[in-house]
Amino acid sequence: MLLLPRFDYEEPKDLSEACKILAGLKGNGKIIAGGTDLLVNMKKGLVSPSCLVSIGRIPGLSEIEPQNSSIFIGSNLIVAKLTEFALIRKRYPMLYEAASVLGSPLIRNRATIGGNIVTARPAADLPPPLIAMGAKIKLKNKRGEREIELEKFFKGPGETIIKQDEILTGIILDEPPMFSGGSYIKLGHRKALEIAIVAVASFITLDKPDGIIVDAKVILSSVAPKAIHAVSAEKTLIGEKPTNKLIEKAANLASGDCTPIDDIRGSAEYRCAMVEVLTKRTLTAALKQAKKSR
Amino acid sequence: MKRLINLIVNNKAYEIAVAPNRTLTQILREDLNLLGTKEGCGIGDCGACTVILNGRPVNSCLVLAVQANGCNIQTIEGVADGNNLHPIQEAFVEYGAIQCGFCTPGMVLSAKSLLEKNPKPTEMEIREAISGNLCRCTGYQKIVEAIQAASKKMKKK
Ligand SMILES: Cc1cc2nc3c(=O)[nH]c(=O)nc-3n(C[C@H](O)[C@H](O)[C@H](O)COP(=O)(O)OP(=O)(O)OC[C@H]3O[C@@H](n4cnc5c(N)ncnc54)[C@H](O)[C@@H]3O)c2cc1C
Ligand code: FES
Ligand code: FES
Repeated sequence: MLLLPRFDYEEPKDLSEACKILAGLKGNGKIIAGGTDLLVNMKKGLVSPSCLVSIGRIPGLSEIEPQNSSIFIGSNLIVAKLTEFALIRKRYPMLYEAASVLGSPLIRNRATIGGNIVTARPAADLPPPLIAMGAKIKLKNKRGEREIELEKFFKGPGETIIKQDEILTGIILDEPPMFSGGSYIKLGHRKALEIAIVAVASFITLDKPDGIIVDAKVILSSVAPKAIHAVSAEKTLIGEKPTNKLIEKAANLASGDCTPIDDIRGSAEYRCAMVEVLTKRTLTAALKQAKKSR
Repeated sequence: MKRLINLIVNNKAYEIAVAPNRTLTQILREDLNLLGTKEGCGIGDCGACTVILNGRPVNSCLVLAVQANGCNIQTIEGVADGNNLHPIQEAFVEYGAIQCGFCTPGMVLSAKSLLEKNPKPTEMEIREAISGNLCRCTGYQKIVEAIQAASKKMKKK
């Protein structure tokens, strides 16, 4: 049996209390949300915080709130709920797709969206679609709150710009523009409990159903220390009329936009080849949706 | 420092003093003597530790007992009605879906959660629902067949 090291445990009732406790711990404390990353790392002896601060009893952190032209997703919302709410499935299908392939049904019932972001694994499933849709996040500490683009949050594997005393309170997603569509595909050796070998999230916006591409985001995951843009693929797509040929060209460029590594899950060469395949598939699916959307 | 927590396990209320670093699996097995819940990997991979926490199946090896304070928990011991097996348990026996039995409590609880939400699942939905529960002996075919049979049986009742 794997045992956990000793630690203290705090369960603040609201955000300001949580911020105070974290500030007082001066970097020796860690937030626990679902614990599916943190407890594994603690059991393996990789981290041993002196105190865990649970955000589980803070009201309002585990909900989805529709606002005027956006939604606010509380950081402590479990991944299973992202697959259950009709609003997410209908309006943000690529987030739904990513949530439904995360871990296993058992993991999804504990794992939170906030934990998936802050843990900053290069292969995490939710950041690629969130970045592709331009998500922003809210970080709060004792002194105040800041809002930043999710994309600017990550530095490298396990590294982000979060400060020791900050709490991720939630994610803001604007309503997708008219005639837009997105798709996320994760490639693994099996369908459940699998870390991505390669994953691609594509999001495109047209000016009208049979018009030109006015915006394109192609996010590649597991091929760099953090999720990256396929920059030349995006450039090629914008301003053009979508055709199969254009998609193929973009997919080919995408495989040149990444510099993956060899590891036990796949060689660099295989990963590049798969980036091309998945970029093509996600763009094709995104386009189909964009033509239909409103 | 130990904390006092309240749990309802299989409809029975408990008040227990626990250290923060003990998992729900440990409390169920060591303090409540409910040995049906198993610990295999301890890190979320195998599902042997599955319990139903406030209506959702979870890996109890990755839940701190203090996090479960105030929660309602069902373990495999709470599935049968006295000496009468639950239809899912009956089907597991009937279809040879058990060999060593180590994965069985978790399999049964994952199957039970599925059938409560979705009484007539497709084969793919069944496979997806038990995808966090690993079995080293039986092979999944017989387990899937047992869950299909249980779904039919439960509909008739
Ligand atoms: C068997 C298994 C399979 C998995 N499969 C996948 C998979 O397929 N895809 C995938 O992406 N991930 C996977 N994971 C990883 C993990 O489940 C996810 O990353 C999950 O979303 C983490 O969320 P959590 O709430 O459990 O985080 P926790 O473990 O509670 O926290 C993770 C980290 O984030 C910090 N943190 C959490 N919430 C906040 C907050 N609100 N503010 C500030 N800091 C915070 C914690 O301090 C900790 O450092 C898997 C894990 C396991 C055990
Ligand atoms: S013991 Fe909990 S998942 Fe393996
Ligand atoms: S019956 Fe032995 S692990 Fe499943």
